[in-house]
Amino acid sequence: MLEYLRLGLFALLLLSGLIIQLTAIFGVNRFRFAVNRMHPAGMADTLGLLLMALAAVVYSGFDWITLKILLVVALFWITSPVCSHLIGRLVRETDEEHFEAEAKEWKP
Amino acid sequence: MKKKNDAFSRLLDWLENGDQALDTEMEESLSDAFPAEQKSKRKKKAEKRKTVPKNASAPRRAYADTWWYRACAVLICLSLIGLLLFTALRLPEFGTADTLIDSELTEFYVKNTLEETGAVNIVTGIILDYRGFDTLGESHVLFIAVCTVLLMLSVRGEKNEALRLKASEYERHFEPGDDLILRSAARILTPLTLVFGLYIIFNGHLSPGGGFSGGAILGAGLILYQNAFGYEKTERFFTYKTFRWVSVCALLFYSAAKGYHFFTGANHMENGISAGAAGNILSAGLLLPLNFAVGCVVACTMYALYTMFRKGEF
Repeated sequence: MLEYLRLGLFALLLLSGLIIQLTAIFGVNRFRFAVNRMHPAGMADTLGLLLMALAAVVYSGFDWITLKILLVVALFWITSPVCSHLIGRLVRETDEEHFEAEAKEWKP
Repeated sequence: MKKKNDAFSRLLDWLENGDQALDTEMEESLSDAFPAEQKSKRKKKAEKRKTVPKNASAPRRAYADTWWYRACAVLICLSLIGLLLFTALRLPEFGTADTLIDSELTEFYVKNTLEETGAVNIVTGIILDYRGFDTLGESHVLFIAVCTVLLMLSVRGEKNEALRLKASEYERHFEPGDDLILRSAARILTPLTLVFGLYIIFNGHLSPGGGFSGGAILGAGLILYQNAFGYEKTERFFTYKTFRWVSVCALLFYSAAKGYHFFTGANHMENGISAGAAGNILSAGLLLPLNFAVGCVVACTMYALYTMFRKGEF
């Protein structure tokens, strides 16, 4: 009984993680503007990764590997928002159409 | 071409033109944020922009004629995914005795590597001992690649004053510079990354890893530090001179050690390097220093390639 429960939890976590990753793929392909595309891409790196890592933890049981998996999640939670922030900054500084005021001072 | 209305072309249409409504909406909200005298200029720009998608959509429609390109791409991707999954599921489980069934060579390596080289991690034993000559060549390939990049992209010297100015101008506008968020993240991550890279290098003969992967991690840590804190901070410990000395010394050491090893081994002489107890950090004879040399070369190469492509000099 407990085994089935664990399998069900694993399947639920993995499927929800996969759905979020799929949403991210469609979002990145559907939007045309860089800042819009960043939004689903950031979601895949944080929430999607967390759900899939939790699925791996549930599947393999709790031991030392759990710590390593959670370390991967922590690493991505630190780095992915910083990446999004840097991309957004670059967009603001280079996209002359949408951010005229900021991009005006730079002439190539 | 007449627009088809089947599910596939509707999906393509949705994928390609899905956010046009969103684009106009965003434009309106953006132009509200600007003061009135800029509005007319923005409107002119917006009109110009609105004509652009019409022109741009003409080749896009023509491209829709060749929808089978996309179908082929999807098919190829799916078959590759299937192939990889099939192969991955066929791999023997980690640590089982059935691993030996593949070939005679596999069997030889699995049975003899620990005894002959002292490496618990068989892969390191193979690439740095049985195939040490090959790894030597790979390190030199990296070095030659970075030399070529230096020749082609370097803006050192008085001739290139204008190029250097342009590069620094470019740099000032597009690179993160003094970004507080990046700095805070880098302050946490850089030491961890460097320590992890050193761990991967020095534990290469005991656990998965080795010079190449550890060196790549070290290089990534250096690049992160450089991005967050700028060239002045990095140049306190890593300049062009450091790069030259470290990579050349590592390559010379690798060549000398491997040459000595080959010479004594081919002439059936004692080489005087004790293998040590397998499993200790100081064991496996030459593998530990060789891993370190390879790691130095890879880290220097990664950082040099990055900084050459970014700025043209160190």
